[in-house]
Amino acid sequence: MAVDITDQNFINGLIEQERRAQRPRGRWLVVPILVLTIAYLTPFYYLFVTIFKTSAEYAQKGVLELPASLAPFADNVVQAWTIAHLGQAGLNSLSYAVIGGAIAVAFAAAAAFGMTRLNLIGANGWFMLIFTGTLFPFQMYLVPLLFGYQRLGLINSWLGMLLVYVAICIPFPLLVLRNSFSGITREVDEAARIEGASEWRVFISMIVPNAKGPLIALFLLQFTFIWNDLLFSSILANGIEVRSIMVALQSLQGTYSTIGPNVVITATLISSIPTVLLFVVLRKYFMAGLQLGNK
Amino acid sequence: MATVTLRNIIKIYGEFVAIKGVDIDIEDGTFVVLVGPSGCGKSTLLRMIAGLETISHGELKIGGTLVNDLPSRDRGIAMVFQSYALYPHMSVADNLGFGLKISGVSKSEIERRRGDAATMLGLDPYMDRRPSQLSGGQRQRVAIGRAMVRQPEVFLFDEPLSNLDAKLRNQTRIEIKRLQRQLGATVVFVTHDQVEAMTLADKIVVLQDGLVAQVGSPLEVFERPKNQFVAGFMGAPSMNFIDAVVGPNNTIEAGGISLPVPADRFDLPAPGTSVTLGVRPEDIVPEGHGTRPELGADFTAPVNFAEMLGNESLLFADLGGTEMVARMQQPRPIEPDQKIGFRIDGRRVHVFDKNSQMSLLR
Ligand SMILES: Nc1ncnc2c1ncn2[C@@H]1O[C@H](COP(=O)(O)OP(=O)(O)OP(=O)(O)O)[C@@H](O)[C@H]1O
Ligand SMILES: [Mg+2]
Repeated sequence: MAVDITDQNFINGLIEQERRAQRPRGRWLVVPILVLTIAYLTPFYYLFVTIFKTSAEYAQKGVLELPASLAPFADNVVQAWTIAHLGQAGLNSLSYAVIGGAIAVAFAAAAAFGMTRLNLIGANGWFMLIFTGTLFPFQMYLVPLLFGYQRLGLINSWLGMLLVYVAICIPFPLLVLRNSFSGITREVDEAARIEGASEWRVFISMIVPNAKGPLIALFLLQFTFIWNDLLFSSILANGIEVRSIMVALQSLQGTYSTIGPNVVITATLISSIPTVLLFVVLRKYFMAGLQLGNK
Repeated sequence: MATVTLRNIIKIYGEFVAIKGVDIDIEDGTFVVLVGPSGCGKSTLLRMIAGLETISHGELKIGGTLVNDLPSRDRGIAMVFQSYALYPHMSVADNLGFGLKISGVSKSEIERRRGDAATMLGLDPYMDRRPSQLSGGQRQRVAIGRAMVRQPEVFLFDEPLSNLDAKLRNQTRIEIKRLQRQLGATVVFVTHDQVEAMTLADKIVVLQDGLVAQVGSPLEVFERPKNQFVAGFMGAPSMNFIDAVVGPNNTIEAGGISLPVPADRFDLPAPGTSVTLGVRPEDIVPEGHGTRPELGADFTAPVNFAEMLGNESLLFADLGGTEMVARMQQPRPIEPDQKIGFRIDGRRVHVFDKNSQMSLLR
């Protein structure tokens, strides 16, 4: 017997059946998701109640209790800004993160181009050399670096910090870009070469635009790493004119007795603004991840 | 436009000899097709002309100048890749203009040439689109346009039609041919499709295993194949081959029949010598279909299998233990195992030496 597709009840039954099959699975996951969400949001809640408390209020009330008014926030900001010299430190870190991140990604891109396109002698050797550096903990070369910097007079200098950050931030982008670049079909650069493009032209006009997503995402990652770095900056650059924002934050905590956690927390909030902003602005590239493509 | 000359060209990949000494002369303004089975070295040869592969040995001249060591960009060539290799991040307009722009051609001149190419290829509506927003056929035309605007001495095509569906392929094939006539261009075109080769070429170069098997006009290559490989490669369905023996008085004996052949067609060895007989499917004529060949031999055999193609049928029938394909014009339904009379056209068959596989055509 043939099926009767004019029978609306029958069709409705099928529609319902399909819909049931399409429904997202794992409803039992709701409970663990809720628990995790609460656990995840608690520190944020703490942050938001704390920045609106005065030091005295913070000392009296329970840590999760609501503040009396929103007014103390402005004072907290002013205190954090002036005591820790956040303005200077923020500017320092911004310059390290923007310039260091950009130079590192640019170098990594150039190296990746050389390794994937130029048939350079010992390309794999270079890659291994650059990459094995990341196998060891930073602490391992911190001490020799410190002595070296002291000899060279790079300690406590802007240039010294920039150099360290550039060097540290090359290997990971190189690893990613080497893959990205090999994913761009060779025929595209062959076509460009036939049309008269030099190697430099191929790099700038063909490879870079086609790897825009990964390049931007990698820059964002390196920016965040440099911005959040405490290890190198606390050891190599403590001076107030060159110290990074994380060192400035640390200095606040060092004088714990006089400055309340409400100010410290406010300072951390301020210090996280640039990375969050950058992520929001560039999230399109970040979501696309380290994939190639240009949409 | 220019001539292209290849002399004793050899290409070695690692320890593998991919091209084994190739000579080809391409005259100014001719359409040359390199054809051969997969892996015979067509792309390699084309990429050597383009300067994308080094030349291990031999001389390559374009327009009379030795270009072995000249970089691609100075060879005056343009290439259309199988994958089109359009610049994915650029609009169609920029794809067409890139090469001119980087070689410092003036803006107005770029506009003019780009406009001409776009109009000629019907690309005007798509100038602002990215390659990913185009159909396969449109991408194909952009790739051709990109080659055209540079006004190269020589166009190189590497299987540019293989990604298109059958209908578009036929259409584009005709367009390419028309374009080449219009521009008077020298074209080297690679394909493994013998129909493409036959229809496009002024001159076909059949490659076999890194060597030139035969060079000639399409008709020449089809009618007078130099060896069994070329005979089998050109023509679809393939030529039938059957073991045979030279008989007395200009006859060939194969599969129990004695086939008379014209006295002046072959240099036949002494009677009794083993040879290979080659017969194209259209030269095995089913009784009552098409014109009955004057000179020939009849055989009757049950049809093992019939393949209906609409305007014709392919019949598979045994001749002395070898399955032969025959072409039936204006087909009628055939029952399995139905016995049918065939007549082989003795004036059109080919005979090959058993050992060297060379044709014995005179
Ligand atoms: N880069 C390479 N390294 C080593 N061997 C290669 C390389 N490129 C091609 N070959 C080999 O050379 C031979 C010819 O290759 P080529 O690409 O020219 O074949 P083709 O005739 O274009 O085949 P197709 O019709 O499949 O494209 C093949 O056997 C192939 O395996
Ligand atoms: Mg090929």
